[in-house]
This record gives sequence, structure tokens and C-alpha cells, in this order.
Amino acid sequence: MKTKSQQNRTLLLYVLPALAVYTVFKLYPAISGIYYAMTDWNGINPGFSFVGIQNFSEILNDRYFWNSMGFTFKYVAAMVVLANALALALATAIESRRKVKGLFRTVFFMPNMISMVIGGFMWMFIFTRVVFHMADHWGWAFLDQSWIGDPSYSFVAILLVALWGSVGYLMIIYMAALQGVPGELKEAAWLDGAGPWQAFWRVTFPLIRHALTVCVFWTLNASFQVFDVVYTLTGGGPGRATQVVALNIYEEAFKGNVRFGYATAKSTVLFLIVLAVTVLQVQSMKRREQTL
Amino acid sequence: MKKSSKAGSTLVFVILTLGALYTLFPLGMALMNSFKTNGQLLLNPMSLPTSYTLDNYLRTWEKMHYLRSLGNTVVLAGAGVGLIVLFSSLAGWKLNRTKTRLSSVLLSLFVFSMLIPFSSIMIPLYRVVLVLKIKNSLLGLALVYAGMGVSMAIFLYHGFVGSIPLELEEAAAIDGCSSLQTFFWVLLPLLKPITATIVITNVLWIWNDFLLPLIIISRNQSYTLLLSTNTLFGQYSSDWTAILSALILAAIPVIAFYALFQKNILKGIADGALKG
Repeated sequence: MKTKSQQNRTLLLYVLPALAVYTVFKLYPAISGIYYAMTDWNGINPGFSFVGIQNFSEILNDRYFWNSMGFTFKYVAAMVVLANALALALATAIESRRKVKGLFRTVFFMPNMISMVIGGFMWMFIFTRVVFHMADHWGWAFLDQSWIGDPSYSFVAILLVALWGSVGYLMIIYMAALQGVPGELKEAAWLDGAGPWQAFWRVTFPLIRHALTVCVFWTLNASFQVFDVVYTLTGGGPGRATQVVALNIYEEAFKGNVRFGYATAKSTVLFLIVLAVTVLQVQSMKRREQTL
Repeated sequence: MKKSSKAGSTLVFVILTLGALYTLFPLGMALMNSFKTNGQLLLNPMSLPTSYTLDNYLRTWEKMHYLRSLGNTVVLAGAGVGLIVLFSSLAGWKLNRTKTRLSSVLLSLFVFSMLIPFSSIMIPLYRVVLVLKIKNSLLGLALVYAGMGVSMAIFLYHGFVGSIPLELEEAAAIDGCSSLQTFFWVLLPLLKPITATIVITNVLWIWNDFLLPLIIISRNQSYTLLLSTNTLFGQYSSDWTAILSALILAAIPVIAFYALFQKNILKGIADGALKG
């Protein structure tokens, strides 16, 4: 039998390639970020110096950053509720079909194959050209809005596109979970006189709670980092009205200012917020899974 | 009772159909208008083309260096996923089979960072890339993807290896296989189902990722499909027939991939999420 230290040596050998790339490209950036966040590093001067918490106190008064954070929260809340409600409804409806199940599943998942950059540009065409045609020729006057130019409508536009791009993914996960619910349980509920609505909430829903936890977690994570949709559709505009945090950080670092240190401080704040929210979500939802 | 449930079922069908139309609408519109001349498009974006032209495709094919961009994307995704699979299967296997303190410490080290959002490491990562002089290098970028992707893959491999009986490896060892031989001849074939899941989710991730290449790749020769599309969009500002044909060209490879591997993709997505 091998000794522990021999075992550990073999283990390290096998883990080394993964550990090397992981340390260099994920762990080190994450940890060094805490240091860079306390420097005045930028893309212009070769050197930089330690400035302590100066960046963080500047963030406190950075109106644009907090506006983008506020917009992101609004977006996250809308996405978590709408994307999951829609995906669950679609999954349940499609699961109840026999013949056309496969076809609907194929169609609804399709946008997830395409990058949101491509999807975003396609929708840009719809919002800047096609809807006006529909408004003029089909009499659909409600479409006659400045979908990209008016902040309140562009929020709706962003949501419509983001939902288009993510509901299919969640739907697939909910469908897989629904398939795991034993048919006998539903039949038993029917026999006991439960309507479809009651049977769903009393029998099916508690049994797919783990999928809900996973999907809400995914939506939270993805929505806090949203970039592609907003970048392609509105670019954060008009002005900065639809700027999300990831875009705010990207612009701080790579456009105009090139203030890398300050942008890293912002990204640290984003990390802490995402961490707090997701930990709370997983803890509270896991607890509810267990009480059942 | 029966009648109302039938009406309900029809209603559900109608709603699903409307939803499906909404889903396909932008794709259909893009496809239809990509065959029109600009004049036709301005006249009516919602009518079928009166005459089909391939001019837009010919223009954008060259302008976005389609084959080169496609080749770059294939190299990037292929190398990235190849590295992730190789590195993670080796690590996940040994991490599961070694029951020491070190192995559990290493596993949690890999897993803990899954919560760190990309935008939070983006700028320090950019510095690492500059220092290592791999900016504009596709293979360098593949290494970056490997670094960011191994966590999840190791987690999945680690879990899956647990369901493979240890006796198989012991038998191979008795037959004189070295540890590496055992891995490649015995383990890797058995890991196929989870490897399929990992390949699919990571191909889709790398293929459709935009922000990382946007930061790392600034040289035209190394542009991925998305970067070329983005640049072309900027150059053609409102020449929609050209832009739409470029979007269709950029979407074709993934749609083809979807058509070929739909079953595996949908299964891979569900497994990756629910078993992870």
C-alpha cells in the first residue's frame, strides 16, 4: 500500500495542469484584484502606487456607478421573476403535450444556441425597423414607441430580448425536473379530487424545488453580470440610462478613462454584492427544499 | 368537465404556438431581409423578397473574413474545450480516488471560485494576459478559458468518477497498466457521458462568449465570428441588408451544430445544471 505522502505526490502530478491554469487565470486575478483595487493603476502610466481605500470612498460618491447598480437590480429582479415564471409555465405546458413536445422544445431552446450579440443585433433590427412597419400598416399603435431611444421603453426592449435568450435554457432544466416527478403521484392527486392547478402546486411543485433553486441561482448570477444584450441593443444609452454594472466597469477600464485600479475596485464591490445575494438565496431556498 | 379541459388544452396550444412564433420572429425576419436589396427592405421589411439577391452575403463574406473568423472560433473553442476536458478529467479522477486531507483541500479550492463573477476578475486577468504576452493569441485565450472552466468540469468529473467501481482500475493495475495507461484505456471511455455534457456546455460557452475576446483580441487576424460581426455592425451602421446577412452567417454554424446534436445538447444542458 502506498503511504499518504506518496498518494499526495501522485495526486499533485495529476492535478497540476488544471491547478496551473486555474491559479494563473482565475485565482491569481481574483486575489490580486483586491490589491489593484487599492492602487491608482491605469492604462497610461507604466507604474502605479498604493492609495489605500481611496478608490472605495470615491465609489461611494460615484453617481453613475450607483445608477448602473440600481438599473442592474431592477433588471435582475425582473429577470428572476419573469424568466423563471415563463420557463416553468412553458415547461409544464410542453410536458403536457404528446405529439408536438419535441418541436416546441426545439424551437424555444433555439435562441440559447445563438450568442446574445447576434440575437441583440437581430432584435435591434426589429425594434428600429420592423415594429414601425407593424404600427403603421397593421394598426398596432402601441408599438409606435422609441424602443431604443426612450429609457423606459428600452428597459422593456432589453427585457424582451433577454427573456427571448434565456427562457429556453431554464425551460430545459425545468422539463428535466418535471420528468423526474412520478406519474403515480399526479394520478393519486387526481383521484383525490385535486384540480390541475392544485395538483401542480401541491404535488409537482414541491418535487421540483431543487430545479427552482438551481434556476434562480443561475438567473441571479447571469443577470448581475449582464453585458451582451445591453451592449448590442442600447450600448447603455440613451446617455447612461440603461447602463448596467458590467458595462460601467468595462467602460471605466477600457474606454476613455482607462482607470484600471478604480474599475477593479468597482468590480470588487460587484463581487461582494453578488456573493451576498446568491448566498442568501441558496441558503433560504435550500432550507425550504429540506422542510418538505 | 371534459369539454372545458379540451378548450383549455386548445388554449395552451395556441399560446405555445404564439410563443414559438415570437421566438422565431427575429431569426425569420433576419433571414428574409438578408436576401433583399436595400430599396426593397426600406419599402417593406415584412414582405417576402420580390427578387432574391446574394449580393449582401458576397459583400459581408469578404468584409467579415468569414472563413478566417470561423476558423479562429473553431480553433479557440476546440483548444479551450480540449484543455478543459484533459486537465479536468485527470484532476477529477485523482481527486476522487485519493482520500487525503490535501485532496479535499484542493477540491474546495477549485469549487469555491465558481461564485466569482467574470467582471470581477476581468481587469486583473487583463494584466496577467499582458504580462504573459498572450494578448491577441488564440491559444493563449484558450488557456484562459481552460483556467476559468476547469472548476465546474472538475466538480462534475469528481462526482461522476464516484459511480465507477474501483475494481476496474485495480484489475487494470494487476494486468500491468501504469496509472496513465489505466486512465486513458479504462477510465476515459467510461467517462464518456459526463465528457459529452462538459464538451457541449463549454463549446457553447466559449463559442458564444463575447466580453473576454473583446478585451483580449484586438488584432483583426485573430478575430472570432462575434468580434467580426460586432466590427461589421459598427462599420455598416444602418445598412441593414448587409448586417442581417452577416448575422445569418454568424448564426449558421451554431444552428447546424444544434440540428446535428440536438438530443445530446438538451440532455447535456439539463445534466450539467441539475447534477452540478
